[in-house]
Amino acid sequence: MPKRITWRQFLFVLPLLLLVSVFSLYPIFTSGVYSFFDYQTNDQTRNALYTEGHLNAPLFHEDGTYLNFYLKKDLSLVDETGQQTIAALQQDILEAISPYAEAKQPLALSGEGAKQVTAFVANIRQRVKDLENAYPDVELNISKSADSLLDEMDSTVVGSNFIGLEGYKRLGQDGRFFSALRNTLVFTIISVFFELLIGMGLALVMNRAVRGIGLVRTVSLIPWAIPTAVSALIWTYLYDGTSGIVARLFTQLGLIASPELLLTSASGTMAAAIIADVWKTTPYMALLLLAGLQVIDHGLYESASVDGAGPVRTFIRITLPLLKPSLLVALLFRTLDAFRVYDLIAVLTKGTPETLSIYAYKVMVGQGNYGYGAVIVLAMFVCVGLIALLYVKVLGAELINE
Amino acid sequence: MKKLIALLLVAVLALGSMAALAAEPTVIKFAAQGDSTPATQAVIDAYNASQSAYKVEWVDMTNDSGAMREQLITTLKAGSSDYDVLSLDVVWAGEFAAAGYIQPLDMLMDEAGLKAEDYNAGSMASGAYSGKQYVMPFFPDLGMLFFRSDVVSAEDAAKLVSGDYTWADLQAMAEKYMGQGDTKDGFAFQSALYEGLVCNANEFTANWKDLKGGLEAMKAMIDSKATADNIMTYTEGETHNSFIKGESVFARNWPYMWGMIKSEGTIKPNQVGIAPLPGGSTVGGWLLAINKNSKNTEGAFDFIKYLNSEPGQIVMSQAYLPGYNAMLTNEEVVKNNELLSMEGFQNALKTTIARPVSAEYSKVSDALQQAIHAYLSGTGTVDDAVKAIETALAQ
Repeated sequence: MPKRITWRQFLFVLPLLLLVSVFSLYPIFTSGVYSFFDYQTNDQTRNALYTEGHLNAPLFHEDGTYLNFYLKKDLSLVDETGQQTIAALQQDILEAISPYAEAKQPLALSGEGAKQVTAFVANIRQRVKDLENAYPDVELNISKSADSLLDEMDSTVVGSNFIGLEGYKRLGQDGRFFSALRNTLVFTIISVFFELLIGMGLALVMNRAVRGIGLVRTVSLIPWAIPTAVSALIWTYLYDGTSGIVARLFTQLGLIASPELLLTSASGTMAAAIIADVWKTTPYMALLLLAGLQVIDHGLYESASVDGAGPVRTFIRITLPLLKPSLLVALLFRTLDAFRVYDLIAVLTKGTPETLSIYAYKVMVGQGNYGYGAVIVLAMFVCVGLIALLYVKVLGAELINE
Repeated sequence: MKKLIALLLVAVLALGSMAALAAEPTVIKFAAQGDSTPATQAVIDAYNASQSAYKVEWVDMTNDSGAMREQLITTLKAGSSDYDVLSLDVVWAGEFAAAGYIQPLDMLMDEAGLKAEDYNAGSMASGAYSGKQYVMPFFPDLGMLFFRSDVVSAEDAAKLVSGDYTWADLQAMAEKYMGQGDTKDGFAFQSALYEGLVCNANEFTANWKDLKGGLEAMKAMIDSKATADNIMTYTEGETHNSFIKGESVFARNWPYMWGMIKSEGTIKPNQVGIAPLPGGSTVGGWLLAINKNSKNTEGAFDFIKYLNSEPGQIVMSQAYLPGYNAMLTNEEVVKNNELLSMEGFQNALKTTIARPVSAEYSKVSDALQQAIHAYLSGTGTVDDAVKAIETALAQ
């Protein structure tokens, strides 16, 4: 049973709680809100979260100004009656748009207001058509653009873009999402497996108190110290189809049919990304495990050897159980890291294999679709939560309870 | 006395600040990619020297077009006024206009007495949206075939220049001539997974009319010994590196490579011929637009106007085609741009084809790239690719 804290103690914790809510909970909350909207930044009818109808006032004003701009040019092309018609038209348009001359943002619009705007556009459309019919022989400037301008004016009246769970429904049918999920899982499982294997070996070596171990520890940490984007660039040179030494080596070993396949074929890019990731993050895994190894009491090993236990038995009975907390932390960190992989693949192959992060980035930044992008990101969030839960259940039930 | 001193002080200050105003021109920020030719810098310098009210500063953007688009959108979406004049790839203009990131120019053009029909039709059309004109040309562009006239026989050269050949013919020629004249490869073109793949596939498939045949010809070319092993990582950069260093006999590229051959090529212009491509020449190039949130619209437009005027076009013509039609026959422009006097180039100008026009171009292009790449890299069949492309084009 956790201890209750007093009000005074709570006051000391409060700033931390506020920080957590601002920097952790708020972004998640915002993503959650986005996911219920058809929110697309590069579409003027959907580039904000609208729960009620609104009028894109700046665009409405601009379109009206354009209509008058063309009408003005036509004044000199028609006779006096025509000029009066045009002047009246100009006057009405001006009256309709002038309230919005200073508008910088879309304005809320009631259903009644929306009807008025639509009726206004229809009215202008009809009057322009009448004007054209009255002067069939005159090539009016307004004729060229009126239709598209009036269509755009119609589109300035926009309804709510709240779509509720539609985005999630779309996710369930999105083949590209599931293929990205598969790629991400393959990448995560294979790379973390090899990192654990090699990292454990490295940590056991580094744990020995022999001469020069300091140098070994330092050197083995170098890959981890290099920024991911830089190491990815180095690997692109090694993997390069014409001059890359790794690509050549793999071809001669018969692992791939020809050197350029490493960075162009689906399985090649997956293998390339995994190798580069294992190279880079194994030292990190080793470091975390080493920290765990160092807190194990040496007396235990001595007793074990007195009892006649061999090295394998000692490792399984003493090292592994006592390493469990560090192992949980190391695996959890690495798995979640690998699951979110973005930078390595973005630099290495400009986006293949497509993982969840890369897909989410393409949808959000490439296509400007923040609504659906948020759905993908939240799906990732759920996956990450499940992975963490799985580890805690399998490896560390007693750790959390203590 | 005190009053007099104060007055004098005010007068001095006022004079000083007026002098400062006169000396400090308004800065116009111009977002454009790094230029491997000297033309962009030259036209900016010429503009800055031609008047004293504005000073254009070049903001160097990444040469990766996809990344540049994302960078621009991120900035513009936030309502930033960091950039005044934007250079846009032809395929972005519709999207930027629809999103409300750029300003319509009709009124400014009308005030300045400029007429849309006097400028490159393809460029102007790519930025005409909802009855408004959002762009003016920076420089128009088109894909074409560069070949080594000192390696290719006169007979084959004539065939190429006339445009009367197929992709299979080109592959056969590439295989035949590779290795001659110190070359390594037969043909260099763009087939990495990026926008360039769409441009090249557009040409192979004759504007998406012969999907299956075109894609098969493309794969045959990639699999043949006439192309480099890593041809599927080639973008324009790899292509020009290979060609201007004399490493390939044929190359599909944009006109900028002609400027590079002249300024830094191992091979010389008299070793190079120009021909149209079998399936037509994809139109590309860049446009100029004004940020909707720019605080210096007038200065921004003044620069755009200068670039599209006779003096601006003459400076630009050292590397690029004129976007101002009257300049196509201007003596100085033609002298600067020998391409205009070449028969093969004139033929290429006659067979231009556009990329798919769509409000959501990036989505369409993305789908096309995925489908084409899957087939070319051997993970999908040609029939799957054709089906996926048809779906994407129908959007």
